[in-house]
Amino acid sequence: MKLGLVVDLDTCVGCHACATACKQWNTSGTIGPLSDERPHGKDPSGSWLNRIHSYEVGDSPHSKTVNIPMSCMHCETADCVTVCPTGASYKREEDGIVLIDQDKCMGCNLCSWACPYGARELDPNSGTMKKCTLCVDRIYDEQLPEAERQPACVLTCPTSSRVFGDFDDPDSEVSRLTRERAGQQLMPELGYNPVNTYLPPRIPKQQDSIAVSPMQGVRQLVNRIINR
Amino acid sequence: MHPAFSVLIFTVTSGAGYGLLAWLGAGQLLGFTQTLTVNQQIIIGLMAMVLVSIGLVSSTMHLANPKNAWRSFSRFRTSWLSREAVFAILLYPVAGLYAAAIFWQWPGVNILAGLSMILALVTLFTTSMIYASLKTIRQWNTPMVPALFMAYALISGGLLFLAVDAFFGTLKPQLQAVVMGLVVITLALKLVYFFWQGKPQGATIQTATGFSQASVRLLDAGHSAPTFLNREFGYQVAADQLLRLRIIMTLVTFIVPLALVYCVFGGLVRAELLGLAWLIMMAGLLLERWLFFAEARHVVRLYQGEQRT
Amino acid sequence: MTQSQDLPQFEDHSKQEHRYTTCYMCACRCGIKVTIEDEKIRFVQGNPDHPVNKGVLCAKGNSAIMKQLSPAKLTQPLMRKPGTERGAGEFEPISWDAALDILTARLANIRATDPKKLAYFTGRDQMQALTGLWASQFGTINWAAHGGFCSVNMAAAGLYTMGHSFWEFGDPDWENTKYFMMWGVAEDHASNPIKLGLKRIKERGAKFVAVNPVRTGYQAIADEWIAITPGSDAMFALSMMQVLLREGLIDDEFLIRYTNGPQLVINNPGQQGDGLLLRDAEGNPQIWDQHTNSLQSALSPDVAPALIGEYEASCGTPVRTAFSILMEKYMAPEYAPEAAAKICGVDAGTIERIALEMAHVAFKETITIDTEWTDWAGRTQTQFIGRPVSMHAMRGISAHSNGFQTCRAIHLLQVVLGTIDCPGGHLAKPPFPKHIVPPIKPAKGNAPNTPLESAPLGFPTQPEDLVIDENGKPRRIDKAYSWDAPIANHGLMHMVISNAVAGDPYRIDTLMLFMANMAWNSSMNTAQTMDMLRAKDDTGEYKIPFIVTCDAFHSETVNFSDLVLPDTTFLERYDTISMLDRPISEVDAACDSIRQPILALDRDVRSWQEVMVDLAGRLKFPAFTNDEGQPKFKGYEDFIVNFERAPGIGFLAGWRGKNGDKSLRGEPNPNQWKAYIDNQCFFKFELKPNQRYMRHANKDYMELAKEAGWVGSTDQIVIEIYSETLQKFRLAGQGLYDGPQPTEEHHKERLKTYFDPLPFYYAPLEQQRTDAEEYPFYAVNQRPMFMYHSWDSQNSWLRQIMSQNYLYMHRSKGEALGIKDFGWAWVESHNGRIRAQVKLMEGVNPETVWTWNAIAKQQGTWGLSDDANESQQGFLMNHLINELLPGETEAGGHRMTNSDPVTGQAAWYDLRVKITPVGADETDLAEQNLTWPRFDKVKPLPSFTPASKMSSYSTHPNINISRGWRDIFSRGDK
Repeated sequence: MKLGLVVDLDTCVGCHACATACKQWNTSGTIGPLSDERPHGKDPSGSWLNRIHSYEVGDSPHSKTVNIPMSCMHCETADCVTVCPTGASYKREEDGIVLIDQDKCMGCNLCSWACPYGARELDPNSGTMKKCTLCVDRIYDEQLPEAERQPACVLTCPTSSRVFGDFDDPDSEVSRLTRERAGQQLMPELGYNPVNTYLPPRIPKQQDSIAVSPMQGVRQLVNRIINR
Repeated sequence: MHPAFSVLIFTVTSGAGYGLLAWLGAGQLLGFTQTLTVNQQIIIGLMAMVLVSIGLVSSTMHLANPKNAWRSFSRFRTSWLSREAVFAILLYPVAGLYAAAIFWQWPGVNILAGLSMILALVTLFTTSMIYASLKTIRQWNTPMVPALFMAYALISGGLLFLAVDAFFGTLKPQLQAVVMGLVVITLALKLVYFFWQGKPQGATIQTATGFSQASVRLLDAGHSAPTFLNREFGYQVAADQLLRLRIIMTLVTFIVPLALVYCVFGGLVRAELLGLAWLIMMAGLLLERWLFFAEARHVVRLYQGEQRT
Repeated sequence: MTQSQDLPQFEDHSKQEHRYTTCYMCACRCGIKVTIEDEKIRFVQGNPDHPVNKGVLCAKGNSAIMKQLSPAKLTQPLMRKPGTERGAGEFEPISWDAALDILTARLANIRATDPKKLAYFTGRDQMQALTGLWASQFGTINWAAHGGFCSVNMAAAGLYTMGHSFWEFGDPDWENTKYFMMWGVAEDHASNPIKLGLKRIKERGAKFVAVNPVRTGYQAIADEWIAITPGSDAMFALSMMQVLLREGLIDDEFLIRYTNGPQLVINNPGQQGDGLLLRDAEGNPQIWDQHTNSLQSALSPDVAPALIGEYEASCGTPVRTAFSILMEKYMAPEYAPEAAAKICGVDAGTIERIALEMAHVAFKETITIDTEWTDWAGRTQTQFIGRPVSMHAMRGISAHSNGFQTCRAIHLLQVVLGTIDCPGGHLAKPPFPKHIVPPIKPAKGNAPNTPLESAPLGFPTQPEDLVIDENGKPRRIDKAYSWDAPIANHGLMHMVISNAVAGDPYRIDTLMLFMANMAWNSSMNTAQTMDMLRAKDDTGEYKIPFIVTCDAFHSETVNFSDLVLPDTTFLERYDTISMLDRPISEVDAACDSIRQPILALDRDVRSWQEVMVDLAGRLKFPAFTNDEGQPKFKGYEDFIVNFERAPGIGFLAGWRGKNGDKSLRGEPNPNQWKAYIDNQCFFKFELKPNQRYMRHANKDYMELAKEAGWVGSTDQIVIEIYSETLQKFRLAGQGLYDGPQPTEEHHKERLKTYFDPLPFYYAPLEQQRTDAEEYPFYAVNQRPMFMYHSWDSQNSWLRQIMSQNYLYMHRSKGEALGIKDFGWAWVESHNGRIRAQVKLMEGVNPETVWTWNAIAKQQGTWGLSDDANESQQGFLMNHLINELLPGETEAGGHRMTNSDPVTGQAAWYDLRVKITPVGADETDLAEQNLTWPRFDKVKPLPSFTPASKMSSYSTHPNINISRGWRDIFSRGDK
């Protein structure tokens, strides 16, 4: 299996629901807690696994605002796995999820240097690196209702802009969307082969106008016989 | 990149240490350590290992969770940092055996000298590859980086060797010429590196976000205070400040030590000034290492609004 | 996914419990499923079965844990230490008994002498049915919620036009609409439903047009973004109206059948009765019947009314159809696209095109749903005709002094295209639609120990309904329902403090505030408001003698209180989201819901609902007192179950009847709370297919609505494109009304100018009085999706997204002024100046600057440290706004309120500013990276525990996945 996410940039409104759902689930999850430094102080800074960046594409007055949520891409050839000296960072063979064994990480930061996407952040309290686990502690939990065996971010997204699935299965939703909507990798030229795929904004809907003839002049509205 | 003081100390100090050990080993093989007594050679070897050790201890200080540091040998298969850890540790027993061989004049002393030299150079190489193997930092992702790393080690180790050698009573003009030649070559390589680094290339905010046909500007990072990523990768030095520092670094690392060495070997000044030249070069190398980090612009900055790295 | 062999069990589900309730991180009222472990919150997720959010949840809901753990939570009742100054922050703890005794005594005294001296206003709450009832029973007319400074324009415009409105009153038909236009929306209380809806329409290929000066949020994903000039939306809407009229692209069938367009209006300028509807002896409006060529009752089903035309009444008075007036008005040159473009910043070609696109969808892409339904006249119809154009509007329209007419203009567009309550159009949500308008008049009484004769708020339809005395002076402290603001249906909360301090119209004794931050972000002109709260008269007494605040958290307003009654959080109490209030209905179902306690209380707080019922009992309100003179209800839960507003109609519509088997109407069910809790805390009553659409003219629906108590009769709800109500007030201003008329010149002018029975564009009032050259920028706020007003800076997760706000401005304008990205600038209005950090951007109307609202906090409040960014770098635009209009005083020495002249809605977004960069030589360098003005630090409350510097929340030790040694040594790169 090649598990990952599709993120739809056509419908992401930048609400941060996915970021906080992730924070909430994972702080009591397999790599938790996700700590916060100076939570009520100056420049609060905590451990997050998913962050939303907003960009303006194009110049005024034609600019478009695009919101890009970013979390671990679970790359096929992830350098973060290659560089890790303790073996804490690894990619699961059965499903491709990249994980960090919290009991083995020594907090050298090298994996975050290797990651182009900023997926890995050092937890200020544990001194270990943390990143998206693709909610490995949800997706296999048979005690959860089947519909809820999804990453927290996918479940919560109010605009359904996140889809979870197996990219190795051509009939899965993620595979279908990637094909039909020309899903892209971010920064593909670095060769990491990220699995998470971003759907570009759709071409804006072209709507027909009702035809008016410029020669007609002002149409006179007349009374029709219409019963109340 | 945020220049962590402990990492600067680590690479510069241990670099000099490995370099010194390599020169010692070379000296055994090529014969220019014959002017030194057994004790003097051991002292040099000890100095080298002390420098290496200071560096290694320093490097563990930037670990956020050092209790797992012992695990860093486990991924020799893929990780340059793991390889560096393995070789760095291996060097101790080998260097120890080498010292014993010198002290008790074992017949295998040449082999151990060669092994120590090779191991020192290999360790240097693996250390440099930790940085050079990262595709995310284009300023580091070049063969020039390991070449320069090894060159710095050789010139700082070499200059230290000349200084200690002089302290023990001998000035070796041929050795001095080799070392000075290496300094000049290193300087030339560094200038080539600056030129190469200045060319715009690599990922841009357009390729990072997937919008290659339009201007792209950051509107909101998603957090109004800095995060770990900002602290680790957001280091910013103004362009004019960078240029000033590069000029200073070039002078202090290369020009001034060259001049001093030239004066010493020309009999213009006392030989003790070789030690000063080494210290000046070390200071310069610290600045060089600081610049190495400060100039490095990780591609994650593109997501924070930088247009290119 | 099936269990992977090598994975441990991560969650011990046997220790976990699911409890359902309703979220209250904002006013969207999503259903949530809360997983509890060891009495701690493990996870909050959207309830998949809930009608509002269908399983999704926004950033705020997902951060409920950190709201619950906020260090700003109040822990005990507090009293201002005797002898200390108000606002100095010197409080001492007081027991609930003592607090309630003090309050009861004071309130009883007010009630027995002069009830209106209690001013009771509520803020972010959702329980007006209870608080309004309480105020009514107390006998004070001085009650309202926050709608006057929130969005009353939007609510009133809709209710006076079509019987429902946007947000909780109605929704676009997401399933069927083909063209959706959104006006002035950033985040809205329809938060998750709008997000779900936008996804739906994008999937279905509908076009989404967003009208907003800023391109963020929803606007980011719009197919077309219209960078409108703030406050000019009416010009855009009515210019499109001209295009439609010019081309004859109107739904005349709809107008004739369902609106008062054909109704005949007296055309007798300068005479009494001009502009009123022609009525027969029975009081029925008249139309010109084309069958009989005579005047007939407009309510008759068998007529074919003329939509256009001029006729004569039987007495010879000229009359014309309302629609004829509309046509003449909007065909005027001022609404031509070329002229409109100059005002609204939308070019003429776009105005034409959008109008024609909507017309295409409405008339060429019509949809029909085949269902038999009975219309208002009892006739069987076979299908619902859908003109699938829909709209939504919120504060960007509302928060202007022209917001009422602007919102009416948008509704008029919807009406002429025939898109009201039809498939694909804008659908009402039960208990709406209601008749225009419900026969509830605002109360005027003030008798000691006597409840009001009606609710404090109501729907005026004529000058007689105004709450004024025999001299025409306002009776209410906020001057709602006076000549200042005749249709002030939600009150004017933002005027209470300044009016009370000025003693205009009178002084009050006690100001009671619930869940409102009037001393900070909910007031204009914050510094002055603080001064007013502290103001004393010559005797050394406070001009507002007693301030009682109920809140759950340490807000800036708590600091200015004399008595603080701490509320619970939403996870700790029972609550109702009631059909009598602002329910969570869907377009196809009547719904209501409850909250139940998820967590036990761990501090000495009580829910305000409980305190309300308790006080009502102590004060012996008739509705709360039994025949023996004892409190009738044991508490809030008992009250909700047993209180009936009308026979069988209570706060909760579900599981009524003694056996819990009746819906909408039925006897109290003692087990009603349990029924809700057993059903995930919500109740849903689905409409039948024949009740789904055209409900204003649908007998199948109206019969249900009458039975449920939502409407008083099954008569057709005739949509009012022409508002006779407004015309009556206009006549009063002209001196032509046979009834109460204003005596002051400025009132007459306002009524004559702004009470046009048809919507029109006018420049916002503040902008009429401000020099556009001196103050060249419009300044507005947006609400971010991850914060709800002042409520979330205390939330350690949400504040990591934003702890400082910037002033956003167009890049070209910033550069022209020499302001760099993240440079500091002075922002100045007629009212004052602030220093803020500027961010340049592309996607903004070039004449507009904006920021996110309510980020800034006063140092010392909300559990934040003294150096928190919110107080050091954050800024409120409020400081620049004044609750009074600038310029010379009007006749009589008064400055008029900075509000909509019709409803009194606070005109937050009318602000105009100028921007100058902070010079390097100005102020000392230490101050450079700080906002200005600065406010005094607020002292911590007794038993306040500051938050620690490191927080690591978890409900159980993490179950790490351990990677084996074999794997570590054997694997290569992947």
